Amino acid sequence: MSYRVGIDIGGTFTDFALLKGEEVILYKNLSTPGDRSLGVMSGLEKLAEMEGLPLAEFMGRCDAIVHGTTVADNTLIEMNGAVTGLITTEGFRDEMEYRRGYKENIWDVRLAPPPQITPRRRRLTVPERILHDGTVHRPLDEAAVRACCARLRKQGVESVAISLLFSFVNPAHERRVAEIVAEEMPGVHLSVSHQVLPRAPEYDRTSTTVVNAFVGPRVTSYLERLVSRVREAGYRRQLMVMQASGGVMTREYIEGSPIRVLASGPAGGVVGSAHAGVAKGHKNLLCVDMGGTSYDISMVLGGAAPAVAGWNMHHRYLVGVPMVQVETLGAGGGSICHVNQGEIQVGPASAGSDPGPICYGRGGTRPTITDALLMLGILSADSEFAGGSFSLSRTGVEEAFQALGDQMGYSAEKAAFDCWRVVNANMTQGVRRITAGKGIDPADTCMLAYGGNGPAFAARQAEELGIERVLVPRASPTFSALGTLVADPSIDEERSYLSPADSVDPGRLRDLWGELAARARQFFTDAGFEADQVCAKYQLNMRYPGQNWVLTFDARVCHGLDDLSFVDEAIGARAIADFNQRHMEEYGHIREDEVPEITGVRLASSVATPSPRVGHGFNAPTRLASVARTRRANLGEGYHETDVFAGVDLAPGDEIIGPAIVEETFTTLVVSPGWRLRVDDAGDYELNRVREGD
Amino acid sequence: MSFELNRQLAARREPLPTSATVDPVTAAIIRGGMETICFEAATHLGRAASSAIINQSNERNASIVDAHGRLAGAAIGTPHLTFVTGMTVRYGLMRQRDYDWGPGDVFLGNDPDYGGGHLPDYNVYAPVYDAAGELIMVQCLQAHQGDTGGKDPGGFTLEATDIFTEGMAFPCLKLVHRGERRRDVFDTVVRNNRFPTIGGDLAAMIGGVQHSVRMLEDLIRKWGSDRVKAAINYNIEHTEQGVRKVVESWPDGTYEADVFVDHDTIGRAKDIRVHVACRVAGDQLTVDLTGTDDRQDLVGVWNTFANSRGYIMTQVVAAMDPGINKNEGFFNAVDMVIPEGCIAHPPPNKPAALGSFHPACEITEAVCVALSGIVPERSAPQVYKMGMPNSVIGFDAQGRMWMDQGVDSRSCDTSAVQGIDGWGTCPVSLGNLLLAQVEDAEGRFPVINISREMTVDSEGAGRWRGQPGSLNVKQVLEPATAMAWMVTAEHPLRGMCGGDDASPYSNRFRVGTPEEHVIELSANEVLPAGSITAYQYGGGAGFEPALMRDPAAVREDVLDEIVSVQRARDKYGVVFTGTVEEFDLAVDEVATAALREQMQKEPAQ
Repeated sequence: MSYRVGIDIGGTFTDFALLKGEEVILYKNLSTPGDRSLGVMSGLEKLAEMEGLPLAEFMGRCDAIVHGTTVADNTLIEMNGAVTGLITTEGFRDEMEYRRGYKENIWDVRLAPPPQITPRRRRLTVPERILHDGTVHRPLDEAAVRACCARLRKQGVESVAISLLFSFVNPAHERRVAEIVAEEMPGVHLSVSHQVLPRAPEYDRTSTTVVNAFVGPRVTSYLERLVSRVREAGYRRQLMVMQASGGVMTREYIEGSPIRVLASGPAGGVVGSAHAGVAKGHKNLLCVDMGGTSYDISMVLGGAAPAVAGWNMHHRYLVGVPMVQVETLGAGGGSICHVNQGEIQVGPASAGSDPGPICYGRGGTRPTITDALLMLGILSADSEFAGGSFSLSRTGVEEAFQALGDQMGYSAEKAAFDCWRVVNANMTQGVRRITAGKGIDPADTCMLAYGGNGPAFAARQAEELGIERVLVPRASPTFSALGTLVADPSIDEERSYLSPADSVDPGRLRDLWGELAARARQFFTDAGFEADQVCAKYQLNMRYPGQNWVLTFDARVCHGLDDLSFVDEAIGARAIADFNQRHMEEYGHIREDEVPEITGVRLASSVATPSPRVGHGFNAPTRLASVARTRRANLGEGYHETDVFAGVDLAPGDEIIGPAIVEETFTTLVVSPGWRLRVDDAGDYELNRVREGD
Repeated sequence: MSFELNRQLAARREPLPTSATVDPVTAAIIRGGMETICFEAATHLGRAASSAIINQSNERNASIVDAHGRLAGAAIGTPHLTFVTGMTVRYGLMRQRDYDWGPGDVFLGNDPDYGGGHLPDYNVYAPVYDAAGELIMVQCLQAHQGDTGGKDPGGFTLEATDIFTEGMAFPCLKLVHRGERRRDVFDTVVRNNRFPTIGGDLAAMIGGVQHSVRMLEDLIRKWGSDRVKAAINYNIEHTEQGVRKVVESWPDGTYEADVFVDHDTIGRAKDIRVHVACRVAGDQLTVDLTGTDDRQDLVGVWNTFANSRGYIMTQVVAAMDPGINKNEGFFNAVDMVIPEGCIAHPPPNKPAALGSFHPACEITEAVCVALSGIVPERSAPQVYKMGMPNSVIGFDAQGRMWMDQGVDSRSCDTSAVQGIDGWGTCPVSLGNLLLAQVEDAEGRFPVINISREMTVDSEGAGRWRGQPGSLNVKQVLEPATAMAWMVTAEHPLRGMCGGDDASPYSNRFRVGTPEEHVIELSANEVLPAGSITAYQYGGGAGFEPALMRDPAAVREDVLDEIVSVQRARDKYGVVFTGTVEEFDLAVDEVATAALREQMQKEPAQ
């Protein structure tokens, strides 16, 4: 028996998904913030024990260990990355501080600046200039580069970002600067913009490169430590690492661009959702993940979660690498409810997990959404919480909501209910922003809810959004770990090439795609895959002249990395037709008198690997499930004595008509009035709106 | 087209007629839905448009006005546009019967004398009806266009003496009738604009508005007309109460300020005065511009009435809790007196384009200076004090106009506010304007950008300092026309509560040649290929006296080469040991204390 192990480290728990054959085993243990690799190793030991094997034998049988890490995110949140310097083109020292003028809140004159990764004293410039067509306008002053190195050395710089204008067109100057820095500052970590993000414009590329330099050493050393531990324990293959693009790749590849692991945790959840949803027959999914601090929203379309490179702001820094789009709202179980300007508001401040909601009994004093759920009877102080790790307490909860109610002129229960309404509305608007931005009616999607709090709100959310069906897989609390197992090894890279589409140079296109293909071949080969296993999507980025946003579409999809025969003299004409069609779909008009331009080529390559099988269907005989108990609860239509079911008792074929509550090990499901819950043949939950005649 | 029309347009409007009531939470939910729809409209436009002013700089605004012409509380863009939009729509609403308004229609308005700001700000808007045919609201999408078909490419004419010099004005023009584009009208608008992509951009604006109308119709269907109307009424009333509550907490009194523009656009008239008196009486704030310059022969410094209202409100909003929702409630709570005939309320047909820079910004600045006596912690002027950006325009071989959208427009007019140094390239109100980039611009326009760095010793000093100014150097590779207007040599951006003023702007054309010259007043010149312009932007002003600044913060600024060692001594009274070069700079506490004591006794002249 061989194994594949998916591991995802979260703030509180480290999740494991063990794939053996088609069976998946899930496990959680507490994260170890001091050295997170320790928590990983203790979990692996537990999995080995569960399989009845010594650790070394278990590890030896592992075909793949796939890992999602938050180390980059934590570094950026805590601002404790490497001491970072920046070398850039003379005259452009301050782009990082200018941020293109962007400010997050246009109404607050007291908005403070973000902390500087590269304060001005560590942002240095060198005389040089390359123009938009790649010609050298001003040669590189190498002595100036060495002088920069001396200044950075004096400041104890550990990591250097290099970002010169138009380096993505002609990287010669950047390469030379990198060589000199390596000579002058041996051992320093280097991030070079034409490698990290080879595209315009300069702020996007520079910011991405600076963040890469800041988080890089920590990501690298963490992965090296982990690799060392798993190797010592007997693992013989490459450690695969989850990327924000939704694919996985080898540690060696990640170390060339560590920023690619930023936000990879949520991406894993989306990939897991796509896998589960597609297996159950739903290719268009609205995925909602509500945990303790946030409500993460993402879309799966046509069975895939596309990664988008663009204006991705993370912790107040722009990160331009492809990322599965996950919109985060400050609406989690720990989101604090308060009154502002006579309005009940929820979040964005959160009580987090420590002290957490009042009902955790850990010193929290401000009412949260989890407390509101307790007030509404959706959660109960009489039931176990978070897998039985503790019980909730009502002490102080009612008083806190009464304080809110006093400000609004009504009761504590009404205040709790209004908090519930407000957070629902916030989530609905967040979903609408995403779906409408993609031109999608949420009613045309199936919702997939996960996270500790997602299933408690899912039916209500679906009701408000016109969605007919909600999936709640039982594995949902460990979806990110499952996602790492599902994610295919993949590389998604692009190169800049500016040309009107009617005068494109096929030879240049061939060279650029060939360069990307060669890189993909090298890394896939190193990871133990053959080139002909690789699915290659050769893509074009295009826009009308003057547009600032590109549309990306496939020019060719094929297996293997060697066939560029599609790049012929007619490729420009085909590209124009394809682009115009996409533009009409996206924006409802085309510009008849304008010739679109190509701005870059992209190669998205991947290798299909074994994934857990997800059961589906409703072949088990239908029966009404047995009620475990009842309690007074308000599921949106006032307080009523409400049926409560124990998830552990439910089996395939079981059916529950709302209003009802289902208590699962790590989550609680609400079956809203007018909704029905069914357990499918895999033991997963499906919520449907009840129609007349059902 | 008269002062009487302006009085009608600005008159307080009644709530929407409905007997329905709505609870606060439902009202907030409906408001949130409308905000999201505006976000969608603006996003749609930003992605589909080709003008860099819209898609790079994001100079666009989406908002919803109710059937009575009240700002209904949903907006995205900049406050400077948000608080102006409604007036154009109010004119359309006045004429809806004449102009045969109906479902599926889309209109264009930009006329400064009919509720508009300045001509380039095209406002595309569409009425939203319920199933019974009642007009409930109007979706607006406003964006700055690169040309208006006037005398000079780009829409700005320094010597303009009337609006007709500046281009085509549309009081209320129907672009789409019952869902069908009026091709003749559309083509006429496009023909009267030099910008080669205006057709696509106008199509994108129409598409964005239509997209929003569909979503608003869904919102009305979901909640019902009466509840939506009740929610709009509630939200506006709630904001008015919130504003009045803040004002009530302010001490009664009159707080006045004078701010000046150096000269008009042809340099003939000097020291153009904006006078503001902010009167606080109980919960009533009145902003009175009586005393503002009304010389009728001034050229180019006429700010439209609608704009003046909006620019006043931009600063009033900045002085309030940012949590108060932005809608008509602000206008209901704040009385404005803007004398007819002054530069903030011009007679009909005055030019309007450059007035949106100055005196518009001086109106905002004067309100800020006046309110700094009441709310110092929120007193940062929401302005761009640049005169105007160097407008560089040329034509390609096919005769198509190009305009460099100002990669060098790092205005940096970010003043300090109590507790926070000025930062970034613009005040928060303009934080949605994403500035253009070299690597986008140089592939499109024949220019090379040489520098846009911050400059040492250009910050407005203070206990909290302003953002440093920046030096923006650009070379044109083909002959181009460059237009400039300088306004801060005599009257730079004002410091607050004892902080220093910002540094003045300065501008040089044809740098490094025998023809190099400083632009003292204004310029409209043809630059030969290879010419270099160097525009020193002024930066932000300081807050409270510089001698109160923490010496450790001065040290940080010196290490960051924002402040020189010499200026640290002369301006801040801070003395160091060590050197910047060796990064061993340390504050000499004893020498600093002694120097500061001496400077306080003998303030610099």
